[in-house]
Amino acid sequence: MIGSAILATWFPEAASTHAAGVDEPFYWIYIAAVLALFLFVGLGGTYLWIFRRQDRNQLGAVTGRLNPIFLGLWVLGALGLGIFAFVAGFPGFMDQNEAPYGAYGIDVTARQWGWDFTYPNGHVADTLHVAMGHPVHLTLNSEDVEHGLSIPAMRVNQAIVPDEQSEIWFEATEPGAYQLRGSIFDGDGFIDMNSALIVHEPADFVAWMDEVSDIFKGRTMPEVGELLYTRLGCMACHTTTGHKLVGPSFLDMYGFEFDTVEGKRITVDDAYIRESILDPNVSVIAGYQPVMTPFAGLVTDQEIEAITAWLKTLSSKGGTDEATAPEEN
Amino acid sequence: MNAATDSYLAGKGGLTEWFTSTDHKKISLMFLGWTSFAFLLGAIFGLFLIVKSLGGRGLEPRFVFQALTYHRLLMVFLFLVPAVPSVLGFFLLPLQLGASNMALPGLSRCSLRFYVIGLVLIIASLVGGPIATGWNMASPLVVAETGLFALVAFGLFFVGLSWFMTGINFLVTVHHHRAPGMGFFDMPILAWALYLTGYLLVAVGSLFAIVILYLTASRISGEGLFGADPMLWKNYFWFVTTPAAFFALLPAAGVISEIIAGISRKTVAGYRMVVGSMIALLGLSFLGWGVNLAGQGQDPITTLVFQALSILTVVPVALIAYSWLATLFQGAVARDSVVVFVFAFMVNAGIAVIMGLFLTSPSVGAYLGTTMFAATRLDYLIWGGALSALLAGLHYWWPKMTGKEYLQDVARIGGVLYLVGINLALIPNLILGVRGVTGDMAAFEPGPSGLAELAGLGWLIVYSGIILVAGNLFASTWGKATDEVNPWGAATLEWKTSTPPPEGNFAEAPEAEGLYRY
Repeated sequence: MIGSAILATWFPEAASTHAAGVDEPFYWIYIAAVLALFLFVGLGGTYLWIFRRQDRNQLGAVTGRLNPIFLGLWVLGALGLGIFAFVAGFPGFMDQNEAPYGAYGIDVTARQWGWDFTYPNGHVADTLHVAMGHPVHLTLNSEDVEHGLSIPAMRVNQAIVPDEQSEIWFEATEPGAYQLRGSIFDGDGFIDMNSALIVHEPADFVAWMDEVSDIFKGRTMPEVGELLYTRLGCMACHTTTGHKLVGPSFLDMYGFEFDTVEGKRITVDDAYIRESILDPNVSVIAGYQPVMTPFAGLVTDQEIEAITAWLKTLSSKGGTDEATAPEEN
Repeated sequence: MNAATDSYLAGKGGLTEWFTSTDHKKISLMFLGWTSFAFLLGAIFGLFLIVKSLGGRGLEPRFVFQALTYHRLLMVFLFLVPAVPSVLGFFLLPLQLGASNMALPGLSRCSLRFYVIGLVLIIASLVGGPIATGWNMASPLVVAETGLFALVAFGLFFVGLSWFMTGINFLVTVHHHRAPGMGFFDMPILAWALYLTGYLLVAVGSLFAIVILYLTASRISGEGLFGADPMLWKNYFWFVTTPAAFFALLPAAGVISEIIAGISRKTVAGYRMVVGSMIALLGLSFLGWGVNLAGQGQDPITTLVFQALSILTVVPVALIAYSWLATLFQGAVARDSVVVFVFAFMVNAGIAVIMGLFLTSPSVGAYLGTTMFAATRLDYLIWGGALSALLAGLHYWWPKMTGKEYLQDVARIGGVLYLVGINLALIPNLILGVRGVTGDMAAFEPGPSGLAELAGLGWLIVYSGIILVAGNLFASTWGKATDEVNPWGAATLEWKTSTPPPEGNFAEAPEAEGLYRY
C-alpha cells in the first residue's frame, strides 16, 4: 500500500497505542498538503510557462474582477485543510493527555545529563523498562534546567520544566528496545540524554523487576543500609551530620549510651536498633517525642541488619573501620 | 541627460562618502553587503554541522553546539528578519512612493550602524568566548553559560534597535513622503508590504531589545526575572520571534507580488484583497507564538487555543497565493531568469506554509514540535522564503540598483541549482524529524543512514548555485551597463527615473498616475 510506504519512510516503528492518533492524522495531512502544494506550484509553474511573453511589447490582459466561484472554492479548500488538520489531530492529543486509571507509575527525574527512572518499589535505573500491554504513567521532574523526554516509537514527547511537574503516559504494544532521547537542548552534555526504552513481555518484566530489585546484589551491607535510609524516608527526621531534627542524628549513635524519656539508661546496640525500627515508641531517647511510624512488616530482618551495619560506620564506637567500611566491588 | 554621471553611484567621495551617506540607496547597498556577510558567516557555521553529520571526527560536542548557536543567531536575527526589509525596503520604498529619500535619513544611517555594531559584538563574542546556549537562549542555560553571553546580548540588543528604527522609518516615510496624489490604495503592493512590515519591526524590535537586556540581567544576578521562570522567557522569545521570523514571509510576499505584476505586465489581481490579507497576517502574526511552544511546557489547553487560532492564517495566505496565480493568468510573462527565483519562492514558501499544517494538528504538533521537522521549517523560511525572495528581488531590480546587466543564463542555472539543492538538503531533515530526531541535532545521528549523505549532496548543490548567482551579480558591476531605463516595462514609479537613479531619485517630483497603468 502507498499509505504504509509513506508511513514507513517517515516514521520510526509504531509500538504504542498512541501511534494511531499521531500517524493517521499525519498521513492524511501529508496527502492533502502535498496535493495542495502540487496544485499551487503546478498552476504557478504552468502559468509562468504558457503565458510567457511572445513579443517584447506585449502587455498582459487587463485584470478583471476575480472569479468569485474559483476564489471561494480556493479559500474554502484552504480553510478546510486547516480545520481538517486541527480536527484530525484532536482525538490523539486528548488521548495523550489523560492517563488511564490504574496505570503503572514511574517517576522520572531529568538532570544534566542523564535520567533516573524510579519504580514504585524504589528501584532506580537509567534506562526505562516497561511491560507490554500495560499503560505506563510517567511523572516528570527536572533537577536543574529544562529538559525534554521523547520516545519516538511510543510517539510521546514531553518538556520537563524546572519546578513544574509534567506527566505523560503510553502503552507499548510490541516488545523490544527503542530509542529514548532528550527532546530539548539542555547544555553541553545533551547527547548523554540518549537512553533506551526496553519493552518486556509482562512475565519477563516481573522477572526483570525481581532481579534488579534485589538491593543486596552487588552491594555491601552498609551500602544497602545507606540506600534504605533514603528509600524508607529516614532522612526526613534523622541527619547523618549530628544536627537534630524531629529525631536524633545517626552520627555517633551506635555504641553510645543515652537516657530515655522514662529515665532509663540504654546503649544503642543491635537489639535497640531493631526495636526502634519495628516498634520505635517503646523507649524514646530523652528530648524527643514518641512520634515515629513503626516499620514492622515494612522491612525484612536482613534489611535491619544492613541498616545496623551502616549505622556502625557512622559511629566512632561502631567497631573497627576494616570490619564495617564498604568493601571494594 | 547622461545617466552615468548623474547616478547616485557616481560620487567621488570614496569610502567616507559611503560611510557618512544618508542616501537610502547607498544604505540599501551597504545593508546588502553586511547582510550577505552575516549570511556567509552563518553558512560557514552551518558547514561545521554538515561536516559533523557526515561523520566528521574531532568536532567536540560543545564546539558543535557553539557552531549551531551562531549559525542560527546569524541566520535568523541578522538575515531572515532584516534582509528583505533593509536591502529591498530601503532601496525601493522612497522610489516607489516618488520620494527623494526616506523621511528620516539620519535614522536610516543609524539603522545600518546599529546593525553593524550588533554584528561586530556578536563576532567579538566568538573571539572572547563563544556561547553554546542554542539560538533560543533558554534562560537556565543562559544563567549557567560560561561563554561571553553579555557581548552576544548587547549585539542582539543593537540588532533589535536596528529593526525598530527601520520600522519607524518605513512608517513615517509612507505617511509623509508619498507623491502628490498618491493615496494609500495607490501605493504599489510592495510599499504596502513594507509599510506593514514597519509596524512589525517597531513592535518586535523594541520588545526584543528590552527582553534581551532583562535576560542579561537575569544572568548577571544569577536568578532575576527569567532565571526564576524559564517559561516566561520562552513566551517572550517566541512572542518576538514568531512574527519576526515566521512572518518574514510578509515582506517577502510583497516582493513576489510586485515582481509577478511587473513581469506579467498586469495589475496585481485583487489588489485590495491582498492588502487586506497582509493586514490580517500582520495581526495574526502576534497571536501565533504559542504554536511554537507546543510540547515545550505549555499547558495543553493553551496549545489547543493557539493552534485553533493559527488556522485562521490559512485564509490570508491562500488569498495572496490566489492573487499571484490570477495575476500570472493571461499575463505577458517575461522570459528572464527572475522567473526561476519567483518559482523557487513559490515552491519553498509553499512547503514552509504546508508544514505549518502538521504543527497545528494537535497530536502531530505535540510529537513534532521539538524535532528536526520544526527546525527544518525554520530552514525553509531562511533558505527558502527569505533567500529566494531576496534573490528574486535582486534579479528584478538589479538593473535599477546598479545600472548593470547580469548574465541571464548563469542566473538561470544558479537559480535551478539553488532550488533543487535546497530541497535535496532539507527534505532528509524533515524525515529525520518525523523519525524523532531532536531539532537541530541531526549532526549527532550515528550514520550512515543515507539521509545525511543526501543532505550533504544537496548542500553542495545549494552552495554551487548561490556562488554562481552571487558571483554573477557581483561580476556584473564591471560588466555591461544596461541601456534600458525600464527593462520590464513595469508601471511603478521606481522605473520612471533614470537608471541608476540620481542622488535625489527624480529629476522632477513625480505625480501619482494611478496604480499599475501599463
